[in-house]
Amino acid sequence: MVKKKVPLRVGETHVQAVRDTFPGAVLDAAWQAEDQVTVTVPKDMLPDVVEFLYYGRGGWLPNMVANDERPINGNYALYYLLSMEESDPGFVTVRAEVDPQSMEYPSVTPRVPACVWSEREAFDLFGLRAQGLPDERRLVLPDDWPADLYPLRKDSMDYRKRPAPVTDVENYSFLYEGRAEEVTEVPMGPLHITSDEPGHFRLFVEGEEIIDADYRLFYVHRGMEKVAESRLNYDAVTFLADRICGICGNAHSVAYAEAVEHAQGIEVPVRAQYIRAILLEVERLHSHLLNLGLVCHYCGFDTGFQHFFRVREKTMDLAVLLTGARKTYGLNLIGGVRRDILDAQKVATIKYVREIRNEVEALVDMLVSTANFESRTAGVGRLDPAVARDYSPVGPCVRGSGIARDVRFDHPFDGYKYLSGMKARSHDGCDVQSRTLVRVEEFMDSLTMIEQLLDGAPAGPVLTEDWRYTPHKFALGYTEAPRGEDMHWAQVGDNQKCYRWRAKAATYSNWPILRYMFRGNTVADAAIIVGSMDPCYSCTDRVTVVDVKKKTETVLTKDQLEGYCRRRTHSPLSGTGV
Amino acid sequence: MLKLFKEIRKAGDATTGYPFEPLAMPAGFRGKPEHNEKLCIACGACAIACPANAITMDLNDDQSYVTWDISYGRCIFCGRCQEVCPLFAIELTTDFELAVLNKADLSESCAYEVARCAVCGKPYAAAKEVDYARRVLKSVGGPAAADVGKLDECLACRRREDARAFQAQARTEGGAR
Repeated sequence: MVKKKVPLRVGETHVQAVRDTFPGAVLDAAWQAEDQVTVTVPKDMLPDVVEFLYYGRGGWLPNMVANDERPINGNYALYYLLSMEESDPGFVTVRAEVDPQSMEYPSVTPRVPACVWSEREAFDLFGLRAQGLPDERRLVLPDDWPADLYPLRKDSMDYRKRPAPVTDVENYSFLYEGRAEEVTEVPMGPLHITSDEPGHFRLFVEGEEIIDADYRLFYVHRGMEKVAESRLNYDAVTFLADRICGICGNAHSVAYAEAVEHAQGIEVPVRAQYIRAILLEVERLHSHLLNLGLVCHYCGFDTGFQHFFRVREKTMDLAVLLTGARKTYGLNLIGGVRRDILDAQKVATIKYVREIRNEVEALVDMLVSTANFESRTAGVGRLDPAVARDYSPVGPCVRGSGIARDVRFDHPFDGYKYLSGMKARSHDGCDVQSRTLVRVEEFMDSLTMIEQLLDGAPAGPVLTEDWRYTPHKFALGYTEAPRGEDMHWAQVGDNQKCYRWRAKAATYSNWPILRYMFRGNTVADAAIIVGSMDPCYSCTDRVTVVDVKKKTETVLTKDQLEGYCRRRTHSPLSGTGV
Repeated sequence: MLKLFKEIRKAGDATTGYPFEPLAMPAGFRGKPEHNEKLCIACGACAIACPANAITMDLNDDQSYVTWDISYGRCIFCGRCQEVCPLFAIELTTDFELAVLNKADLSESCAYEVARCAVCGKPYAAAKEVDYARRVLKSVGGPAAADVGKLDECLACRRREDARAFQAQARTEGGAR
């Protein structure tokens, strides 16, 4: 018999490599989409297989998804999503089932640190315990949440009800990993909920130098995944996904739509793919201008800040022109987009793009020639490429450390498949300056991409309704938001609702590296380092300084801290008994 | 520094006269949805499509009216209602000034009379919707219009009648066993 030569499917080399290295480990391998394969392994093999794919085969880990599959197959399941970015690029998901009696699985975090947040979250929301997880603190749930209530289990409390609070005191403990004994603890945050987003940072300082830092977030966890599962139909979730972020909502909406489209095998019309890419780039324009404006602000160049925001207003007008709203909200449906780009809009867009390009070039020129820019940003907030490799950060954060990871080019999707002459930007200074320069270059690239996409978009429909709904199929959807990749994992149920939807925002991957970026810098740099990450907020609200030894406490306001960040003289810590 | 001053001079006034003069919004801007209660037949398509549950429909307590409500506080201005409306009875306008002093003013509501089933007497649809269906069927004519009398009955009663008719037919014609 002659063996037929079948071209290998995407990910097949990885599956084969796992089979060869760990005989008998692969219980099942199934493809959800052209570039996505899920490999089921016994749970004891999880750490070995994930580590092998991560470090051995060039994988990066966006996140892990836990799922309550008891109604389907009697078990819980974990999905470690791996983005393969060296040979044979694609997505390999390592799946393992966890039986509902033991509720335990071996932690992958000691081998691949990037899993840490996901494994903490899996315990919060499902009660699945990772054995050997170095950090077992709560991640998502508040201190007053009952210990035995796991909100995402299918038999959990009705989403419209709330459990009674179990405690009145905050009992979260911050971790200190440094060696020096006489350190001062500087808490930053968490509240001023009306003006900025809340987050609680704890800086461990020696004099002015930050030795270590820890933080707590999720003060505004909205339980969107639960709402999507219980209240919304699967086709309305694109509108909820928009609201995940006030800036990069469209990226989430596209990622969710694509997750469902990949799972259901829906072919999105080519014109819709172009339009999605154009809108994603419009979103990047206003997001990057916001961050560049903030860099000006932190460098004490507030005139520049105002001017970046003046030009940013034009990108918002562009969004109104193309989508009918200042935010690129509400345009995605499963199967395409809701609004076409007409000829008159195309002409107007090209005019906007030219104006914006000229103005931003002039402003950037002024920013980098500001004396403060070099001294405030160069060498500050260093992100070691080795740390980046361990934690899989995304976006300008990782690209500022010399690693050119960008979903648009690693796994081209939508209109990005048709671009020519573009590549992922990177700088290898590993500091705030590099991350800023990456953003500047990406901004200019975005303008070029919009022009290319507008020119290249073929005529045709923008929405397809030609598909059949198959329950329980799942897949990944991914986009490159301004802050890095958004990764959505969606599985629809048999009731026209999401059975499980896991939305991973870009910044979720970036927070765990912040403590490493803080180390070795001064308190004055803290704000600009957080800002350079461009998290969904760039201000730190309120600061309390605690001297552990003397048990004194000082409260600094946000203005004091920001002022100190700009001047770097007259430390607000001096003269307070520190 | 000189460059900066030049840029400032070139930029001129970045602000507009709003709110002291009206702010023009481009065509296609998605603002406040306006409901035309005269055109509306209370079919409920918008209430089903609305992702944010801003539009809701309910029977009143004594089941004589069906109410159509919109809460502009919940509205996300996506325009799905406009897309699905068969009668163009709801349209997004360019109005964006929706702030109110009293929260109750964010809602608008109207009520439509309910049609009751000629057989069982239960409410089954808005009277306007039934009327509309009748007019459409009549204008279409042909076999579609033959059953126009059945519109007075609710779905459950019509099903029951159909089932009985089949049963009788099967008995008289000696259907397959």
